[in-house]
Amino acid sequence: MNGTAKKPLSPQKLILRVLLYLVVIDVCVLTLYPYFAMFCTALKSRSEIFSANGTILPVTALWSNFIDIWSRAPMARYFLNSLIIAGGSTIIAMLCGIPAAYALARMRFKGQTAFLGFVIVSQMFAPVVLLIGIYKVMMALGLTDSLLGLVLINAAFNQAFTIWLLRGTFMSISAEMEQAATIDGCSRVQAMLRVLLPVAAPGIVTTLIFIFINAWNEYTVALCLISTDTTKPLTVGINIFNGYNMIEWQYLFAASIFAILPVVILFMCIEKNLVSGLTSGGVKG
Amino acid sequence: MSKKTFRKIEPYIWILPSILLMAVFIIVPIGSVFRMSLSKVTKAGLIKGFNGLGNFIKVMGGSSFGLVLKNTIVWTIAVVVISTVLGFMLALVLNNEFKGRKVARAIVVFPWATTLVIQASVWNFIINTDYGTLNTLLLEMGLISAPINWTPTPAIYFTWEIACGIFVTIPFVTFCVLSGLQSIDATYYEAATVDGANYWQKLFRLTLPLVRPSLTVSTVLNIIYVFNSFPIIWTMTKGDPANHTDTLVTYLYKLAFYNGKQGEAAAVSVIGFVILLACASVYMVYTLRKGDDT
Repeated sequence: MNGTAKKPLSPQKLILRVLLYLVVIDVCVLTLYPYFAMFCTALKSRSEIFSANGTILPVTALWSNFIDIWSRAPMARYFLNSLIIAGGSTIIAMLCGIPAAYALARMRFKGQTAFLGFVIVSQMFAPVVLLIGIYKVMMALGLTDSLLGLVLINAAFNQAFTIWLLRGTFMSISAEMEQAATIDGCSRVQAMLRVLLPVAAPGIVTTLIFIFINAWNEYTVALCLISTDTTKPLTVGINIFNGYNMIEWQYLFAASIFAILPVVILFMCIEKNLVSGLTSGGVKG
Repeated sequence: MSKKTFRKIEPYIWILPSILLMAVFIIVPIGSVFRMSLSKVTKAGLIKGFNGLGNFIKVMGGSSFGLVLKNTIVWTIAVVVISTVLGFMLALVLNNEFKGRKVARAIVVFPWATTLVIQASVWNFIINTDYGTLNTLLLEMGLISAPINWTPTPAIYFTWEIACGIFVTIPFVTFCVLSGLQSIDATYYEAATVDGANYWQKLFRLTLPLVRPSLTVSTVLNIIYVFNSFPIIWTMTKGDPANHTDTLVTYLYKLAFYNGKQGEAAAVSVIGFVILLACASVYMVYTLRKGDDT
């Protein structure tokens, strides 16, 4: 449909076009509906939410809900904790994953296939199946109820993705330039840092954003390991508004919006690169 | 150390940090779970001697285990199959050229990027009988005159959880298939059109075989994610009432952290583990074989 489609469409094509738009619009409306409901509810007062003849849109928009949550719960603390967990595990996952992916892409060694096989298999086991074991390890290390513990767990369980995506990225880049650099007297580490990594930057950025999002959205391990309120990340912490006796929906959803907004934006940035990387094993620039 | 020996051990130095990280936080927990599944474990989590298959026998003989296993299978198959079919169809739609395609793609990403706890909370709110927005919406539109109880039985509540699972899984399938579709050479279609193939022939003879690799990856990964999915069910029903909406992972969480039966919980882990390992080995064989081809 780029400028050339000036001539009128045949009736059959026109119907197909209309159908296409109908489907797309339906899908978009359906997808956005939960977010719309969340946003409208976040603007309502408690009494309005529970009133018998409720409306979809808030009668009076209470923007103050978005401010109140910061004083009603340690929201700033949750936010900071989520940032530390997501940021910390991204850094550790990359620091461990880049060399491993480099070795897999550029070197030949005994046990290479076994290591790659383990990386793939480990991707199959969500922390939830191993929770009891994880809990024991954390007890032994004195890392239950600590942010460092969550950082390490998230980094470990994202190793598979990191290595898988980066190995593909590195393999899609020719090794010639690095070889030339080593002949010029660069060490292998220097060649990787100065020659390979800059070229692989788009793939690296996609990978690290993806780990960040995964760690930011993680819920199960944090729920199990963290008991102190001020150590909780957002995903667990916002449930403070979801008490046993009453649920403060307006606050829960106002806080939820803060929790999902950064991630949705980040995700939209990488969506295209990420999927081609997942299915082909490499994130290209 | 001579240069030659260094060359030999160099790769292992590069992979060492990664191996250490995974060893401590993945392999040790795996070992610990296996050991506990075969041991007598006290409420405090201390291992008190060998128990053989006692934990497995106790768990599998439990009154709700059959139900939980059935739920897990229904949950996994329903979510994976339906979201794969719908996600595939959505990808075909989004693969067309149309105005606003970029916006539509961005919107479809939303459920994938949102953390599952929040997604599940919203669904719980929407279907609430007393103040949920589904009833409010239908009342406002005049389609119903009194609020409907959307969750009259546990089975129906479980169906809602499956619906929520499908909703959040579709985008992943869609984007995997889209990436496959976009790598297909347009000349195939031109050739097929010249040969007089109709839309359905092109879909089943051309598109489907060509996106099969993407579809396989997304399906296998989804089986694992969905099987292990904890937050949706935990947020919406906590597996209640009486295990009617439990899957293996919520069941084992309750056993371990609510009932203090860590040995039995470990046995449930191992059972889940074995089921997944079967899936994982299929995936591994497939991926490694694919890696050799290229």
